[in-house]
Amino acid sequence: MQANFTRFCKLDEVPPGGKKALKINETWVLVCNVKSNVTDRLFAVSGICSHQFKPLFNGRVRNCRITCPVHGARFDLETGAALDLPATKPIAVYEVRVVDDWIEVKI
Amino acid sequence: MGNQSLEIAQALPPGAARCPQEPSTQDIIARDRVAAPAWVRCESYEFLGDEDISIDRYIDPAFAKREFDTLWNRTWQFACREEHIPEVGDYYVYDIGRHSFIVTRVAKDDVRAYYNACLHRGTKLRPSGTDGCASEFQCSFHGWSWHLDGSLKESVCAWDFPHVDAGKFSLPQAKVERLAGFVFINMDHGAPALAEYFGPEFMAHINEWGLENRYIYCHVVKKIPANWKLNMEAFMEAYHVIHTHPQVAVSNADANSQYDIYGEHVNRFISSLGVLSPHLRGQYTEQDILDQFTIGDSSMLGGADRTLAPGETARQRMADIMRVMFEQGTNTDLSGVSDAELLDCFSYTLFPNTFLFPGISLPMVYRFRPDRDDHRKSIYEVFFLRPLPVDGIRPEPVETVYLDDDQSFTEAEGMDPGFGAILDQDTDNLLLQQEGLEASAKPGITLGNYQEIRVRHFERAIDKYLQGGA
Ligand code: FES
Ligand code: FES
Ligand SMILES: [Fe+2]
Repeated sequence: MQANFTRFCKLDEVPPGGKKALKINETWVLVCNVKSNVTDRLFAVSGICSHQFKPLFNGRVRNCRITCPVHGARFDLETGAALDLPATKPIAVYEVRVVDDWIEVKI
Repeated sequence: MGNQSLEIAQALPPGAARCPQEPSTQDIIARDRVAAPAWVRCESYEFLGDEDISIDRYIDPAFAKREFDTLWNRTWQFACREEHIPEVGDYYVYDIGRHSFIVTRVAKDDVRAYYNACLHRGTKLRPSGTDGCASEFQCSFHGWSWHLDGSLKESVCAWDFPHVDAGKFSLPQAKVERLAGFVFINMDHGAPALAEYFGPEFMAHINEWGLENRYIYCHVVKKIPANWKLNMEAFMEAYHVIHTHPQVAVSNADANSQYDIYGEHVNRFISSLGVLSPHLRGQYTEQDILDQFTIGDSSMLGGADRTLAPGETARQRMADIMRVMFEQGTNTDLSGVSDAELLDCFSYTLFPNTFLFPGISLPMVYRFRPDRDDHRKSIYEVFFLRPLPVDGIRPEPVETVYLDDDQSFTEAEGMDPGFGAILDQDTDNLLLQQEGLEASAKPGITLGNYQEIRVRHFERAIDKYLQGGA
């Protein structure tokens, strides 16, 4: 199936430092608005951890990483790579853009 | 030192000799325009003997094992900064040897350190080297879980564990104390309180510094191919500056730096900057000194005017420039800060493994840990701390930079490359020193009475713990 940009939510619903999870076409997507010394931008990743498929929604985001709240594995928001045990598999990452104050995710 | 000054030194009681015909650190600081506070303007040296220090401590794996059995489990260690765990549920994993702790904020004013192991079949509850936020700590194996306060939340299929008394299945804890924004932990529940461990003099010093009002803007980690004590001792004296860091000596009072010891667990040096090394006496003008001056956070200095008026000293001009540049560059208020605090290198060792540098231009914290499996390797961490911005918004701790074993500190993101080059010079000596000690026909190292007193004081504390004292 071909991926298309889909409206996710209004930009102001994810302020700097914030994040939001929504289901798009049966897929949980987590959008993080990262503001840190290394990066200042939106990321869109799977909302589900690759380890035991638990929600990542409440994970803490620092710099370019999210820590799974369940067992503490971290993932790179840019590449989706798993950085620690117990996770060994990456999470999906999605292209994200802003059009007319809307966050759009390619899925 | 000429024959004459050696004779003079030999006539003095041991440890009483100082770099001849040079101003002391206190003399240098006394001339500053913005006067230094009491914690700077005091001395606390004591002669502790001049015997050699045995080298088994650096080269014998059995010695390293004894350290784990008698020292690391009984001493206060800097585990993380409070800024790593600002919110309830935030945690930071601190490892020392085989031990691992989840340092977590249980309530606004309650930080605890849990042994990082499941009480069912032992699985580590959080991966080492990570931090994050949790509402509970759940094991990844069978899913047992603990509340933030450490009490057992759920043992899966509790019907199969009638012998598990939930009241006795709380996560075991290490002792925790907080000081100046640092979280310290100690595995020994019989250990003295932190203030007693550090002693009243050092407590009076640290309480003046306001390090709780700083934030980490750079954190670099590198594995060093030497015993952790050699790694630490490379930073305990300015005696090596003239030979190891020739580019610095022009503007560093190295041989006349000041060394102090406080109780059993704290020592320090003060190494003045913006003044010529006694080794180079007569070879450089004040203008040369100013021209060659570099500092740890030199990104701040920009294009300041560096031409001295007649009679003006490099040190005073440097302090004046820095005051303005740092205030502007970091959006901080330094009006109450003395010239010495702005300029000089204040290096404190907190036994066993932390250095604090409370100055402004050299605002580091170092942490050293032995490799858990190899006594010939250690983990060296450099944190840079800046005063909080005047708008009061605390920046989040930066991303940690992990250098490869053969990577230069000059490549570390966020670290001033000139400072990185100094750390390269310091650490490049260490493999040679490790291997030399292993190759040596001499059973001990020999120390200077004054300039190397911190090394002796540190090793004395090591011996005390290993002999069951302290
Ligand atoms: S479910 Fe995310 S680390 Fe286990
Ligand atoms: S080992 Fe932790 S739940 Fe079994
Ligand atoms: Fe050095």
